[in-house]
Amino acid sequence: MIGPLFLALAWWMLYWSPRADIPRLETAAVPRERFAAEARRRPMGSPPAAIMAGYSHPCNECHQLFQAPLEERRILMQHTHIALNHGLNKHCFNCHDRENRERLRLNDGTLLEFNEVPRLCSQCHGTVFRDWERGTHGKTMGSWDASSGLQHRLGCNDCHDPHAPAYPPIEPLPGPRTLRMGDQAEGAHAGHRRSPLGQWSQSGAAPPDMANPEGGHR
Amino acid sequence: MTLRIWEGRSFGEPEPGPSMSRRSFLRGGTAMAGGLAAMAAALSPLRELSGDDLPSVEQFLQKHYKEMTPRDMEAALERIRGEVEKRYGVRPEIRDIKPRAGVEFVYALNLSRCIGCRRCVHACVNENNQSRDPEIQYIRVLEMPRGTLDLEKGNHHYERPTVPDADHFYMPVQCHQCANPPCVKVCPVEATWQEPDGIVVIDYDWCIGCRYCEAACPYWARRFNFTRPTIPADRLNPEMSYLSNRPRPKGVMEKCHFCLHRTREGRLPACLEACPTGARKFGNVLDPDSEVSQILRTKRVLVLKEEVGTLPRFFYYFDERYPRSAEPAPAPPPAEAPA
Repeated sequence: MIGPLFLALAWWMLYWSPRADIPRLETAAVPRERFAAEARRRPMGSPPAAIMAGYSHPCNECHQLFQAPLEERRILMQHTHIALNHGLNKHCFNCHDRENRERLRLNDGTLLEFNEVPRLCSQCHGTVFRDWERGTHGKTMGSWDASSGLQHRLGCNDCHDPHAPAYPPIEPLPGPRTLRMGDQAEGAHAGHRRSPLGQWSQSGAAPPDMANPEGGHR
Repeated sequence: MTLRIWEGRSFGEPEPGPSMSRRSFLRGGTAMAGGLAAMAAALSPLRELSGDDLPSVEQFLQKHYKEMTPRDMEAALERIRGEVEKRYGVRPEIRDIKPRAGVEFVYALNLSRCIGCRRCVHACVNENNQSRDPEIQYIRVLEMPRGTLDLEKGNHHYERPTVPDADHFYMPVQCHQCANPPCVKVCPVEATWQEPDGIVVIDYDWCIGCRYCEAACPYWARRFNFTRPTIPADRLNPEMSYLSNRPRPKGVMEKCHFCLHRTREGRLPACLEACPTGARKFGNVLDPDSEVSQILRTKRVLVLKEEVGTLPRFFYYFDERYPRSAEPAPAPPPAEAPA
């Protein structure tokens, strides 16, 4: 009598009993270029050159002909793509050389190649330069092993726009939809302030006010 | 066939006809139905088992990682090559990469620079062949109110048009590769252990999926494969190693391994290379001139949950000040008081 019971059980288990569904939420595929391993920007060469109508023009091709206007009351007629947003440093010739536009100029008059930018920036940004030299500021590519010869530390203008050095805010990639962080299907856009442990999302209590947290100073 | 229930007669005494009373029949029947139901419930996970989830004979007979000879390892790698090729149509370049002598890896993350853009999360998923459905990610980015370090207020699910938000800071958390790892201590089968270069690894063929390590980890860094991972074949990273990013079977744990297939060959972890701000730093802490040694020496360094005594190899640090881009917008000038 027990035998047929087990057979019936096996049949029920295989075909009829409700299946425990594992919640699955497919992630939108993020294109690879959005997390590419590369420098944030590509500076112009050293010396820089303007590309016009497919031809490369060195800076001095124009700047030997045209006299630089006065620094005060300056409105850019050329180079209009430059958004100058560098704090108090808003004069071209604080960094560029007036005579030779293919060089940069330190405060003491020393001319620098364009690929020596960190020396130029270090005149004002001393603590950051110190950190960069140690390797505690900035991005390192290639290898963690300095002795391998593959390590390449990016320069200031590989990440920062020299004319507007603050990082512009960027769009974040999609957030997690992992199983342990709770079912995101409902309310993924409504109240997305969830505890990692899902405390208030499960108990139904109101989430804490993230904008005005209790405790801590701002 | 009748079901007889012994009712306390001594042996040899003649049976007085059909022996079962209505009461004992109901009692016995209920007990049996209950038992069968319990058994069905206990066995029901077997229904989810498909042939692909069962280990092959070679995998079943495979030895523990530390007991494998080079020939055993080559056989195991060849088996994995075949399995991956069969499932994804890609012949992987899988190796077993050993740790380097004189190297102990340490990670450092600059909380002043992290903008919470989640590039690291997705670069990691792409590099390490994590399941896309259901989703498994090794890195969690917490958004926390500026000025606090209260993980209870951390939010994974921020959805903003742009980051960083001026009122928040961002803290990515992943495996801390602890020097005193609680996850390793609780593993009942020694499927996870600490390598000489400090990386805590998992042998996916030895793990029994008990999830003790997941419970033991104070950083919530371990992930369990509830189902067989699904990875689009065109996104499979064919550069694999045995202990790191080869595709995992159903029912095993996985976690961050500092991209050991990259870092043991001198390269940098995928999350670091994807970071647009340079907030992530990686290197050999035994080299006094390495970037991470400089950070530990000169920066204000924070260890997450220091009080639990796990001695992480993952450090958070701060700069002297926040970058200007992360500062709150200046308050509007006060309205002029009426004269």
